Amino acid sequence: MVNINDAISTGNKKIEDETRRIALLSIYPGTAYYLPITYAISGLQVKDAASALNSYEKTGKSPLIGSEILVASRRSEEDPPYTGFIEDSVIRKLGYSLVDGSILGLALIVGKPDKSDHASAICRELQEKLMLTFLAGEVIESLVKDGIKVGLELRLVPLGRSSLMAVHFADILARVAMMFGGVTPGDAQRLVAYASERAKAFVIAFPGMSDQEIAFINALRILGIPVLHMGGYEGDAFIKTDSDAIVRTGMEMRGIKVQVTAIPIPMACSPAFEGKAIRKEEMYIEFGGTRSPAFELLTKSDPKDVENGRVKVIGPEVDMIPQGSAAPLGIIIEVAGTLMKKEYEPVLERRIHNFINYGEGSWHSAQRDLIWVRISKEAVSDGLKIEHLGKLLISKFSMDFPALIDAIQVTLITDPEKIMPVLERARSIYQERDERIAGMKDDDVDLYYSCTLCQTFAPNHVCVITPEHTALCGALTWLDGKTAYEMSPSGANQPIGRGATINANTGEFEGVNRFVRQASHGEIERCALYSIIDAPMTCCGCFEAVAMILPEANGIMIVNREYKGDTPSGMTFSTLAGTIGGGAQTPGFIGISKGYILSERFIQAEGGISRVVWMPSILKEEFGSALIERIEKAGLSGLYEKIADEKITTDIGELLVYLESVNHPALSMTSLI
Amino acid sequence: MDLTYSPGWTTSVREVVIGATSSEGGSRRISYKIGGENDLPFIGNSGHKPLIAFEICDDPTIWPEVVRSACRDLINNPADWAHHADQELNADLIRLNLTSTKKRNFSNYKGIGNTIKQVLASTSLPLIIEGSNDQDIDSEVFQQCGEAGQNERLVLGTAEAARYRSVAAAAIAYGHIIIAQSPIDVNLAKQLNILLREAGLPDDRIIIDPYTGALGYGFEYTYSTMERIRFSALKGDLDLAMPMISSPADSLTVKEVREATFTDETAIAWEVATSVAAALAGAVILVVRHPGTVPILKDAIDQLKHGRGGI
Repeated sequence: MVNINDAISTGNKKIEDETRRIALLSIYPGTAYYLPITYAISGLQVKDAASALNSYEKTGKSPLIGSEILVASRRSEEDPPYTGFIEDSVIRKLGYSLVDGSILGLALIVGKPDKSDHASAICRELQEKLMLTFLAGEVIESLVKDGIKVGLELRLVPLGRSSLMAVHFADILARVAMMFGGVTPGDAQRLVAYASERAKAFVIAFPGMSDQEIAFINALRILGIPVLHMGGYEGDAFIKTDSDAIVRTGMEMRGIKVQVTAIPIPMACSPAFEGKAIRKEEMYIEFGGTRSPAFELLTKSDPKDVENGRVKVIGPEVDMIPQGSAAPLGIIIEVAGTLMKKEYEPVLERRIHNFINYGEGSWHSAQRDLIWVRISKEAVSDGLKIEHLGKLLISKFSMDFPALIDAIQVTLITDPEKIMPVLERARSIYQERDERIAGMKDDDVDLYYSCTLCQTFAPNHVCVITPEHTALCGALTWLDGKTAYEMSPSGANQPIGRGATINANTGEFEGVNRFVRQASHGEIERCALYSIIDAPMTCCGCFEAVAMILPEANGIMIVNREYKGDTPSGMTFSTLAGTIGGGAQTPGFIGISKGYILSERFIQAEGGISRVVWMPSILKEEFGSALIERIEKAGLSGLYEKIADEKITTDIGELLVYLESVNHPALSMTSLI
Repeated sequence: MDLTYSPGWTTSVREVVIGATSSEGGSRRISYKIGGENDLPFIGNSGHKPLIAFEICDDPTIWPEVVRSACRDLINNPADWAHHADQELNADLIRLNLTSTKKRNFSNYKGIGNTIKQVLASTSLPLIIEGSNDQDIDSEVFQQCGEAGQNERLVLGTAEAARYRSVAAAAIAYGHIIIAQSPIDVNLAKQLNILLREAGLPDDRIIIDPYTGALGYGFEYTYSTMERIRFSALKGDLDLAMPMISSPADSLTVKEVREATFTDETAIAWEVATSVAAALAGAVILVVRHPGTVPILKDAIDQLKHGRGGI
């Protein structure tokens, strides 16, 4: 067992001594980068022993530079299969494959394996996972003895006989950074940033390295390159893992993801099947839908508790459940990821619905503890099991959210006893989430989110999404906007810095105005989020409802998309929608989500909910107690009954008579016009 | 009555240099600086005259019949064809479309590298290369294109949102320009440019291809998308401030051309009309395929630029 810290200090000393003693140094052929590591870090063009020593001293005796000088001074010509120093023209090709994505990342293997089969298994796994692997030290001999072919074209590059030849791995990284990453020689900070964020490399260290070699390998950590081992080293600098898990761990640490394209289940899976229902006659088994307890829950977990790709079924499988029956089903998904946040849980959980519906023989409806899932007879006869739903979910989540999810595992509970305690836990999590979102206020955050998805048909439309003002389509909350931005930083949802407040009451902010001006291509100068009259938000065409002022009533009416009849404005929903949509700003009219009606910010500038004089009965009923609660909270007890609907009238004259008769508060408010 | 024109533009279109002369490390007799416009097309200092690229291919079996008959034997030899376009047709640029890569089971990667080298040797005009459009072979194809044209500052096409990595990699690794194509959609054009920047490609190496529908077959969408791209650029959207290329290739396959009595005249008329309209919308490279189009289009562009009478 080697103590890493001890080895590093002796090793560094040794590098220093030897570097000071070098007499001759010749430059490498086929490169415009001198000694590449030295050039990248210091900007110094080493051409001989004296300038080499100078750069070593100037960089505070960097072991990376010291080792590079030592390797260069030895001028050991390497015989095949060893490559030694690799020329620029080859590096250009490697760089191409890295940018192009045909190489996902870089691995370096050093040292001498105790058992050669470990090394071969690791190399094979790295090859399969599209990694480019560099080898230095006795590991190469051991692989060759084991019958493994090495060579650049096989993505196993044998650099040299000693582990110190790993210097060439670092000089390749340095050159890739200068050629492709725009790193200027001498800009060590940019180099480190490039190597740690873009180069996606890690080291696997077998035992048997000299102190000097350990010191060099350890120095690679400055470039953000983790060193993993399976034993033989002691200390915190290197990370210990099992041989089975070492490649996966390295790749996960660097965020390298292998894209799975085919989902290994006996059922076709595509968005094309999303709209296909499974009728009772076609159904083999169902879960939930009031016949049995069922729920779904997606949570963020600690990476050490998540084994990527694992599916566990607790309770009977499909072949042990009689046809036509209802079984309990708990879908528990645990995800881990450096970018994953607790806030994203509900957004991702909502995708279970789409993904299960992608399966040709699986169907899903509703959400949380209300889910209803069916599997078809046909799918079961093709061999589909409950376990496969887990595999489907894992594949789809990994494919669609590669940036967020590093590891994902699924547990499916079909045991009627075991599901109950987990269901209770799920319910308490749902409740916490509701409280968290319900409690979020516009003032709690500095960043709002835009949505310009609809610009394809409403060219200048910009939706501004805040915690209390969901997108007008009702489909995107502030949290969804935030998630969408993190998942796709160049997509249609961008952060908007709110900036200084221009008018807190109308919801006009400098940052929002600036963003809207730019995103509307200069068409819209101002946007007041909580106003219907003064610079209201633009409308695309997706709004769930339209709110418009009725000057005669000194109030506003709301009409939702589902209501087809007449309104007191004299226009139906579709006429109104055609009038205000297309990305225009129309004072007096706004397209809104239904949820916004219940928001405390709802047309705050004009006095809020007390202005509402008319809405269709289906909308009133849909809100029911939620609207009453909102009205009570605003201290407007009795308003619910005062809001007219089409059963009372759709005529503006009759509406005024009614409003007078119930003494609607809007009548005595300040004039809207 | 005096009319004042003060649109309040804040930004110019980025300049992109295509082709490299010997003093720039390449072997072209000329290099072009495109872009730089600070106003709408053909208004004020609105940049250089649009360039005309003549498009040839390395496998004529999928080339429009009307062009094949007009180009006769040349179609079987890309190098001769390119030479002809340069010397006889006086095109400004050559676009080599590697149609061979679009056939099933294509695998002759070395072959396309050689074709590119031969074409580079037969003409000293800057070259546009249109590579494969299949993710499975893109990597190999664009590696070949990039390498074969190293130092020549080629224009490589085509990057799309779903497959841009190989084209971008070739441009980054071997110093070329790329064509970023989006399906007649200003937002997708913008998103692709951002993706390319994230892949490491500098902004001055991108040319936008908004996709050109044929006249009467969706060109009005193209026109309005091009206008919007230019408006956005001039108003300060740097993600869209790139020069545009237009390739009205669809014009030669519309029913009116295929079934025309005077096929050549109709084909030329269709290409010229679509190209002139694209130039009016802001395209600075116009790619055409019919040899008869080149002189007429050249004349039309000159008249637009210098106001010599009507077209």
